[in-house]
Amino acid sequence: MEYILDVQNIHTFIGQYHILQGVDVRVPKGSIVALLGRNGAGKTTTLKSILGLTPPREGRVTYEGRDVQGMRSFDIAALGIGFVPEHRAIFRDLTVEENLKIAERVKGDYLRKRDFIYELFPDLKRLIALPGTSLSGGQQQMLAIARALVADNRLLLIDEPSEGLAPVIIEHMMSAIRQLSKESTVILVEQNFLVASQLAEYYVIIEEGRSVKSGAMKELVNDKAAIHRYLGAA
Amino acid sequence: MTQTTHSRLPGFFTKNRTALITLLVLVLLPFIVGLFDGASPATVFVNGSGQSKFIQGLAIEIFILALYALSFDVIFGITGMLSFGHSMFYAVGAYLTGIALKSFQLDLLPTFGLVMLAAVVQALLFGIVLPRVKGITFALVTLGMASVFHIVVMSSEAGPYTGADVGLQGMVVPAFISPANERLRFYFAALIILVLVYLLYKRFITSPTGRVCIAIRENEGRARMLGYNTFTFKLTALMLSSFTAALAGFMHALYQPIVSPNVASMGFTVTALLIVLIGGVGTLEGALVGALVYRLLDFGLRRYIGESASFINGAIYVAFVLFVPYGIVGTWRMKSLQIKQGWERLTGMLVKSAK
Repeated sequence: MEYILDVQNIHTFIGQYHILQGVDVRVPKGSIVALLGRNGAGKTTTLKSILGLTPPREGRVTYEGRDVQGMRSFDIAALGIGFVPEHRAIFRDLTVEENLKIAERVKGDYLRKRDFIYELFPDLKRLIALPGTSLSGGQQQMLAIARALVADNRLLLIDEPSEGLAPVIIEHMMSAIRQLSKESTVILVEQNFLVASQLAEYYVIIEEGRSVKSGAMKELVNDKAAIHRYLGAA
Repeated sequence: MTQTTHSRLPGFFTKNRTALITLLVLVLLPFIVGLFDGASPATVFVNGSGQSKFIQGLAIEIFILALYALSFDVIFGITGMLSFGHSMFYAVGAYLTGIALKSFQLDLLPTFGLVMLAAVVQALLFGIVLPRVKGITFALVTLGMASVFHIVVMSSEAGPYTGADVGLQGMVVPAFISPANERLRFYFAALIILVLVYLLYKRFITSPTGRVCIAIRENEGRARMLGYNTFTFKLTALMLSSFTAALAGFMHALYQPIVSPNVASMGFTVTALLIVLIGGVGTLEGALVGALVYRLLDFGLRRYIGESASFINGAIYVAFVLFVPYGIVGTWRMKSLQIKQGWERLTGMLVKSAK
């Protein structure tokens, strides 16, 4: 199996706090991998550590065979990693189209990907000239994901895409993530186990800053004891 | 092609109606004022004294202030960097022009080149600290740098060049642009420069670089997540700002008979901040409207009230912040005059201070 990302035993500190105390994540190329765990387990910090936003002090992060440990966050992103942060982190003062254009890494990215993006999120096409402030929560989330699709990102890190969204919007979001996973590998942080289990092929459970269990999602779905123990879900 | 140009023209005029009317009024202003004063356009044209010349002078001061305010808006309003040392950008331009003309008898063009070179150096100086500090720390570090410059121009050692606390006087301005004899020419030169800089800024904020600067203002971390080295963009904004402020300083030294050390003080940075707050932060047009309101208020109050003008001025600015928090242009665009909220803020403040 070919791995696009290999995170080995990373330790990350935020201030004096030792947040990640040994996380391993191996991501097969072309797959969707869910990072699971309770609130505060270290899932978002793992994504940020991969991208160098909270650089790990120990361990190793290898992307497409290249050691990215110690690189600056914008240099890591420029290697082809798109990040969709939680809380729909769009630029509210820019219009929908400007939010997309700003994600161009090479001139013309937006024009090349425009049709694909609007096919995936038809709502955005209608709202193209509106500023980010005018969008609903679901539309902002769509825009945040769409923005990560503009450049040729081979790996997408998506943090809590279903957070605070209505069920019908979540359905739409899931179908969009399935669609975009045909072009990119996806790492998903998701509190909603139902959503994660329907999307991801693999999982990594993080507990108190350590990766404690990983494998194929199909197996986890049938392991009720593990789900109850690590995720608190019935 | 001609047909396309023809069909675009009416749209262009409709879209830019306010700006074009304003420009037309400014072009005709000296002659209109002259007519009211009984002076024919020919008299105004040969720089005859009177109301027209006086109004031209006031307008030139507003144009220079507007340039200075634009330079502040691009770093504060557009890119989100608060600099408390902005006056240094302006003062370096003004002092260097004065010294080059007076002490070294340089021509205007080499002087201008020198000022632009200094603009690059001072932007780089501010840029050195950019990767290490942000927010209020950046504001304080820039204040420190500007304070050092203020102390240097005030020092007796630099006195022979800067005039120390008295200010730099006695610059010989080339006759063809002398504000005393060729004020109308100076007026139009200043107007053209302001219009060109404003158009450049408009182009900048709609360019990809400008959009990234707006994104940095909103959330620098997000811009970095997209793969942008934000330092480069912040430095670009600083460069643009430094060029513009130094240009304003250059014009100040040509127009004013004296370069006072006040232009290097913290107070003059506050002037830029006030102008931008009055007009509307990050709107560009706000810098122009703010400069007009600021200068007219200052001039009117000083003329008719005298010593108490500063107090009234201060009260007006507080009222602006309370009732027009988005500035004149921002409020106009958002249609959001906050009279009720302003009263609530004011009474809230009074109740707090009473406790």
